[in-house]
Amino acid sequence: MTSSHRLPPQPGEVIDRAQRFTFRWNGRPYQAYAGDTIASALAASGVRVLSRSLKYHRPRGLLSADFNDPNCMVTADGEPNVRAAHRLVSPGMSVSSQDTWPSLRFDVKAANQLVGRFLGPGFYYKTFMRPQRLWPAYDKVLGRFSHGGYAPTAPDVDRYDQRYAHPDVLVAGGGPAGMAAAVAAADAGARVLLVDEEHHLGGHLRWADAEGLEILRELRAAVQAAGIEVMTDSVVTGRYDGNWVSVLQRSVPGVRERLVKARAKHMIVAPGLIDRPYVVGGNDLPGVMLSTAVRRLVNLYAVKPGERAVVLTANTAGDAVAADLGRAGVDVVRVLDARQDEDVVRIVGRSAVRAVECSDGAVVDCDLVVTAIGWTAPLTLATVSGGRAEFRAEAARFVPVGLPDDVSAVGGIVGDGSTDQLMEHATAVGREAARRASHRAVALAAGVPHARVTAPADTPAVAIPDLRPAAHPMLSLGRTDGIVDFSEDVSAKDLKSAVREGYDSIELAKRYTTATMGPSQGKLEGVNSIAAVAAATGAGLAETGTTTGRPPYVPVSLGALAGRSHQLLRRSPLQGWHDSHGAAPLYAGSWVRPDHYGDPAAEVQAVRDAVGIIDVTPLGKFDLRGPDVPDLLELLYINKWRKLGVGSVRYGVMCAEDGVVLDDGVTGRLGPEHYLMTTTSSGAEATYDWMERWLQTERRQWRVHVTPVTSNYASINVAGPRSRELLARLTDLDLAPDAFRYMQVRTGAVAGIADCVVWRIGFTGELSFEVHVPAGHGLHVWKALLATGSDLGIRPFGIEAQRILRLEKGHLIVGQDTDGLTQAYGAGLDWAVKLDKPDFAGKPELVWQQMRDDYLRLVGLQPVDGAVVPPEASQIVEDGTRIVGRITSSRMSPTLGHAVCLGLLAPHLSSAGTTVTVRLPGGGSIQARVMPELAHVDPEGVRLRG
Amino acid sequence: MASLADCTSMPKVLVRASPDLGDSLGVHFGLSTRDSSGALVVGYGYGEWLVLDAPDPVPDVIQRLEATPYDGLRSVIDVTHGHALLRLTGADTADLLSRLCPIDLSDDVTPNGAALRAPVGGLGVALVRDDVDGERSYLLVVDRSYAESLRDMLVDAGHEFGLAVAG
Repeated sequence: MTSSHRLPPQPGEVIDRAQRFTFRWNGRPYQAYAGDTIASALAASGVRVLSRSLKYHRPRGLLSADFNDPNCMVTADGEPNVRAAHRLVSPGMSVSSQDTWPSLRFDVKAANQLVGRFLGPGFYYKTFMRPQRLWPAYDKVLGRFSHGGYAPTAPDVDRYDQRYAHPDVLVAGGGPAGMAAAVAAADAGARVLLVDEEHHLGGHLRWADAEGLEILRELRAAVQAAGIEVMTDSVVTGRYDGNWVSVLQRSVPGVRERLVKARAKHMIVAPGLIDRPYVVGGNDLPGVMLSTAVRRLVNLYAVKPGERAVVLTANTAGDAVAADLGRAGVDVVRVLDARQDEDVVRIVGRSAVRAVECSDGAVVDCDLVVTAIGWTAPLTLATVSGGRAEFRAEAARFVPVGLPDDVSAVGGIVGDGSTDQLMEHATAVGREAARRASHRAVALAAGVPHARVTAPADTPAVAIPDLRPAAHPMLSLGRTDGIVDFSEDVSAKDLKSAVREGYDSIELAKRYTTATMGPSQGKLEGVNSIAAVAAATGAGLAETGTTTGRPPYVPVSLGALAGRSHQLLRRSPLQGWHDSHGAAPLYAGSWVRPDHYGDPAAEVQAVRDAVGIIDVTPLGKFDLRGPDVPDLLELLYINKWRKLGVGSVRYGVMCAEDGVVLDDGVTGRLGPEHYLMTTTSSGAEATYDWMERWLQTERRQWRVHVTPVTSNYASINVAGPRSRELLARLTDLDLAPDAFRYMQVRTGAVAGIADCVVWRIGFTGELSFEVHVPAGHGLHVWKALLATGSDLGIRPFGIEAQRILRLEKGHLIVGQDTDGLTQAYGAGLDWAVKLDKPDFAGKPELVWQQMRDDYLRLVGLQPVDGAVVPPEASQIVEDGTRIVGRITSSRMSPTLGHAVCLGLLAPHLSSAGTTVTVRLPGGGSIQARVMPELAHVDPEGVRLRG
Repeated sequence: MASLADCTSMPKVLVRASPDLGDSLGVHFGLSTRDSSGALVVGYGYGEWLVLDAPDPVPDVIQRLEATPYDGLRSVIDVTHGHALLRLTGADTADLLSRLCPIDLSDDVTPNGAALRAPVGGLGVALVRDDVDGERSYLLVVDRSYAESLRDMLVDAGHEFGLAVAG
């Protein structure tokens, strides 16, 4: 389609006539220029209907021709709910209308208009309540009537990200007042961030006369010269405590949307004013536009909006639009001046404007009706900042009052005046904002040792010139019923009906009718909604009040809220080797670990028969130094530590103050006042917090340093009957059984790497040595072990094999075989609890537990049918239904060829030889026998002490 | 332009003592300074210092730090292997870091020599402003196990700034 309605070049136009291209609208090709919005390009081709309304599917066309326009939601290149009056059209773009069938022009759902009188407020609530059983059917049918586009099913490959900013002054709004305030603040030395929703700075100056355009050029040059960071096509979506301001930034190269988290020392609110629609019969017909919409179309996009126009004006904007229309060659057939009590009674038409009935009885044929009946001040940012909306009857609009010290307002939401007056006021506010920001910066830097913020001179507050809203007639509801909320298809009659039904506060009427709850979010329809409720209740607008504005001010995509998707994984220095050798990854907490290398049973067998190595780097490791470390260990662990000699290692269990098992691990004494502690992998951070809590609050007199060194070491467990033989080939340490006994520690070189810590322990139940290697050399030692042990049958084993090995041995895993209620005696740790110690964490509770006999006990269990492995968490039941315990760990034992388990079991069933019933999750049950020991393999410990 | 270099092999020694030791070391929490040997001494935390970029072998650094006059409990620990160290250099690096780090990195709040612990992309990172020949430069110290995650995030954020990765 050709651009039949395109005007010759206009002084302030933003289109680039050198770049012309084609895009598609509902499958047909259309022409556009770079800089056109989707809607302006369509309007330039004479397209007047862009959408159908939500409820009645009435045809809709451009209304405000900006981001807030409720009538031009489209799907663009598969993206639903694109605002066509704001989104720039691009070459080849495919745009289509939404929720119309079979076409935008002939929409079957427009039949809703025939039954419109039955679709009043509360229709859904009242109609689909009963019978309840039919709700699924209702739900299915109603789903077909939901408005809006369809979410794409393909993954969103666009980039969304976030950034932080720390401006001294953030200005929300880039009209003349916002720009003037920004320049003044920057000139006063402030770092300024200027944010504007439009694609170009300037606000209403963009469609001003020659003098106004010259002022705009000067302001833009001043903004650039002042070094102000400018974000256009961006919106301040909210302001939170401490002037934490969220900004949604679009039009960033390579980024779909960016959420900017700005910590502003001062914020200036400068959103300008919104042209308010007139509520009168036929006000939603295509061809009814706000004055600012027409001025945008003519001046920014060089589009002729109609042929014969009627203008209803109550202010200078309406007066000016008549001039614009005349210049664009539109025949202005009637100007109705509301200030002279002239009015539009009804707008007539079926699929577009055809005529206007005037208050003097005349019926004027036309295809365009332009209204300029008053302004809405968008006060959301002011009110979410702590300010209030106060109605000024003489000016027929709300204004912000009671703003906090770190928020100011400039421009139209404050008052009216000439451009010079608005800029003079804004300049003073900008300078004052900079002054306050400089004091705020000093206060913020007071606690920052490296900050070099200079205290500002003690200058007095800047005098702010008076700026008040000018007198304006109150026009809102006309003489006939019209649409109030164009997004939600809510009429003035609907709101009045809601009041009659008892929803007589604006907040209730809003929720009952959904007025202001659509995509416009009250920006266009807010005041008219209040006026409709006020008209029904008889109260004034001031008494009726406003709805509560809440962030975000505009919709924010989930992508922008999420930002970049970074998976923060902890990796051992050996993880690359595991990946390249076929290890199945296991994500355990923040760590990624090798679960197995393909055959965990064979890995178990290698450890039992020969030797295996496992990467245990994630084990929590802490360097403990100081003369009072023994006191700390005595306090933390339930067993005794004071006699631990240099060169020895001991297993310990920590309990919380309620006696519940918290963590376990081994600690070795490396020197007189130097220890190395290990914890569980998942419990390392909590254990560190636990230790620091004691040291920093309860035992501040103790001289102890606890330093996390988990990542300092690559930790490798060398396990199996041939582990000594293997390790001996790589170290000069004397590994002879008498020289390096079970539960001892040595330091020395392994595979040529100095400063390794080696201790002899036995989590797997086999002779084993845990080697802690300086992390950067971990891979070298790992490879050396594998190469050196090739003739010994060595193989790496993963977490699954380790879990089987330790289960065969009956070693508990804290958190797996215990839970948030398992105290030490219940975990089978009777042998470790030393109640004769003067004190330790959890002692009073454990004293009490010892006197009771009512707690679950950890026991070894073996299914009678050894081929069946009951899943972990299977319940153990008595008398068919009563739960008396559960399986905490279970595996098929490759060593025994029999299923083995650990479980928590009621005391009266925990005696060795008792047979219990285990209910399987899928139904059915099995019998299992309580074993005399936790250990299923080598209960005497011969192998690990070998 | 910005560049990212992996300096993990650089010696790193942690010192823990009461904050008074800062008088002897010449630097307190929040700041960093080069000592007479050329090593960068970073006020890493309350009563914690990190010595980086020392020209001497680690045992010598440890010996020197243990010899510094001080009466209280002092731990001097070689953490060379426990921490990864990345250097981010270039005029755009503050902007690059603003994609990941909520701290105000402007010259008046975080000047050359500033040292702080901050979240970078959700990771706890020690951030040291250590300009090189007048060019803006940051050292980022992170737990070694998270090195790959941090590096990936910086590279991702750095696309916009033409980040060159070395090492």
